[in-house]
Amino acid sequence: MKQAYKRLLSRTILGVAVCSMALASHGTAVLAKAPYESYTYNYYEEAVPAPDAYLPERSISGIDLGIGSFSTPQDLFVSSKGEVYIADTGNNRIVILEDDWKVKKVITTFEHDSKEDTFLSPSGVVVSEEGNLYVADTEHKRVVVLSPEGKLMQIIENPQSDLLGSSFSFVPLKLSVDAGGRIFVIARGAYEGMLQFDKSGEFIGYSGTNKVRRDFADYIWRLLASDAQKKQMQLYIPTEFSNLDMGNKGFLYATNVDPGSTEPVKRLNPSGEDVLKRYGYFEVKGDLVYRLRGASGGPSRLVDIKYWGNGMYSVLDALRGRVFTYDDEGNLLYIFGGIGTQIGTFRTPVALDRMGNKQLILDQGKETITIFQPTEYGAAIQEAVANHHAGDDQRAVEKWREVLRLNANYDIAYIGIGKSLLYDKQNKEAMEYFKLGMDRKNYSVAFKRYRKEVLQEHFGTFLTVTTGGVVLIIALRAVRSRSRRRGEQHEAGLF
Amino acid sequence: MKQDFFKFPMHLIVHPFDGFWDLKYEGKGKVKVALVIVFVLFLTFVLQRQYAGFLVNYNDPRTLNSLAELQYVILPFFLWCVSGWSITTLMEGEGKFREILMATAYSLVPIILIYLPMTLISRFLTTEESSFYYLLNTFAIIWFLYLLFVGTMTVHQYTPAKTVITMLLTVVTMGIMVFLGTLVFSLIQQIIEFIVNIYRELVFRI
Repeated sequence: MKQAYKRLLSRTILGVAVCSMALASHGTAVLAKAPYESYTYNYYEEAVPAPDAYLPERSISGIDLGIGSFSTPQDLFVSSKGEVYIADTGNNRIVILEDDWKVKKVITTFEHDSKEDTFLSPSGVVVSEEGNLYVADTEHKRVVVLSPEGKLMQIIENPQSDLLGSSFSFVPLKLSVDAGGRIFVIARGAYEGMLQFDKSGEFIGYSGTNKVRRDFADYIWRLLASDAQKKQMQLYIPTEFSNLDMGNKGFLYATNVDPGSTEPVKRLNPSGEDVLKRYGYFEVKGDLVYRLRGASGGPSRLVDIKYWGNGMYSVLDALRGRVFTYDDEGNLLYIFGGIGTQIGTFRTPVALDRMGNKQLILDQGKETITIFQPTEYGAAIQEAVANHHAGDDQRAVEKWREVLRLNANYDIAYIGIGKSLLYDKQNKEAMEYFKLGMDRKNYSVAFKRYRKEVLQEHFGTFLTVTTGGVVLIIALRAVRSRSRRRGEQHEAGLF
Repeated sequence: MKQDFFKFPMHLIVHPFDGFWDLKYEGKGKVKVALVIVFVLFLTFVLQRQYAGFLVNYNDPRTLNSLAELQYVILPFFLWCVSGWSITTLMEGEGKFREILMATAYSLVPIILIYLPMTLISRFLTTEESSFYYLLNTFAIIWFLYLLFVGTMTVHQYTPAKTVITMLLTVVTMGIMVFLGTLVFSLIQQIIEFIVNIYRELVFRI
């Protein structure tokens, strides 16, 4: 009896345990919650809650890979083959991973003049279309180019030009290479812009200088200051770029960390001019609403940018650990990420890249790579933007409707549907959608067409009513004047 | 009725010198009419904020509050009248308070006359055409300022230069009054808070 009771009890406990485990695992799979609060900005520049566009999948450290932990890694690059390159700065090595997260190779040395040569704090890494590896070997003050087999192809150091002063010291931090083999380098202290090298490593010139900002108060202060005070004052020098990425068609995407700048993101055309489209409701600068002071106060500090294709690009805010994704026209699509200790939040994020549809973020503080996977919501937005960019508005509208089902406050979706309706000459419906999306410019276009339509349709009626009215007035006047005349006659007859 | 509410104001806004003279010396203006005008102006602004076309209406619908509109129309109006009266008494103006009130209110008529139809018309305008909307609204304001100028000049029998100085001083006075008002309110609030705190302390002790 007692034994039977015991068995029953143990069975029950086991059963409950199994059930709860099953439930728990099921629960986490379905109800995985982001460790950050997703939000977006509405027309009135208020931060409003939004569904999560990306959820953290896993995070990978050097120990997980079996190569010892990373040490202040600075850069991450995913090649067109899907291989992940990590500039493991503190360990003076470049780590190459396969797309299934196995270590392919760790480069610590290369042969230079038949001698072993090493890196010293490499903080930028990029791979060209041909598979050549470009490393910004920061503390050795040079750029090293290696072939896919690991053979040294080229070393760029100490560029000579009249443009560079005699005291100029070439300390490359980040770099990028275009299809023609031109190399763009962000160097420490190079305020004039990015250094541009041709295929053979010759310095060509600077590209895309940041403008100097001076506000009125600064101007007044300088006017009032004495010469001695002026000498003490901060110099007005342009800010340096923080990172860059090669977009399509030779356009270069770059970020700078100028605090308070309204244009921290730039899209540079081949002649170095900023041609970023800023047609959204607000500036392309990360967060719009933030605390001014405190540990995480101030405008976003954008440290990396990645071009996604289809006009989309993401920027990484190191201050609050958030990733902002914009479309071709400068509309903010979604925001995710945050500072924290859970998987999916960062301590000091330094670089981002994409792997297929996933986002990879390199955290210098945690020494990990975090992989983010798009949710249904995020994927729908991406597809809609891609379809719209490709000109397939029919498909885009389908996706936008899906987005609206998940987030009925998504202005860009309303505008997207409105544009398609406008194309189909459904002007009245388009007006409604543009109004919901607060797009006054397109609303005006739709309204103008609709008004014309209505006027044309009712022009006949309008004309009939007017003519009828005029005839009626004339008739009434005639009757009145006749009756008056008759009255006069009456009066005349009376007296 | 018709004479007071329609004919005279209409005559005044197109013939201001004549009209304001009649208002002061012929007793044609009525305080009742002036108050009705201010109230209608309040309604005009409420209607415009609420019903102006989407393309020219940048108000956040969530923040629309008709009563809050009172502080943008009625309050400045009376503030202007009171500070104008205070200033002109010091500056040898001949106007009485009711004359100042009437002159100010009658000057506001063009704003009503233009804003109300423009609210309707703005619903049928595209972005390119909305400049007409802004043009006419600006015109209404300029007209109003002109009438206010002539009104002040006539009511107090000032020279043009003195009128301009008086009007500017009136604006300054308005600012001072608002400042004093906020100061008083803030002090009252602090006194109330103080009393409430003492009450609380006592309640907790006993």
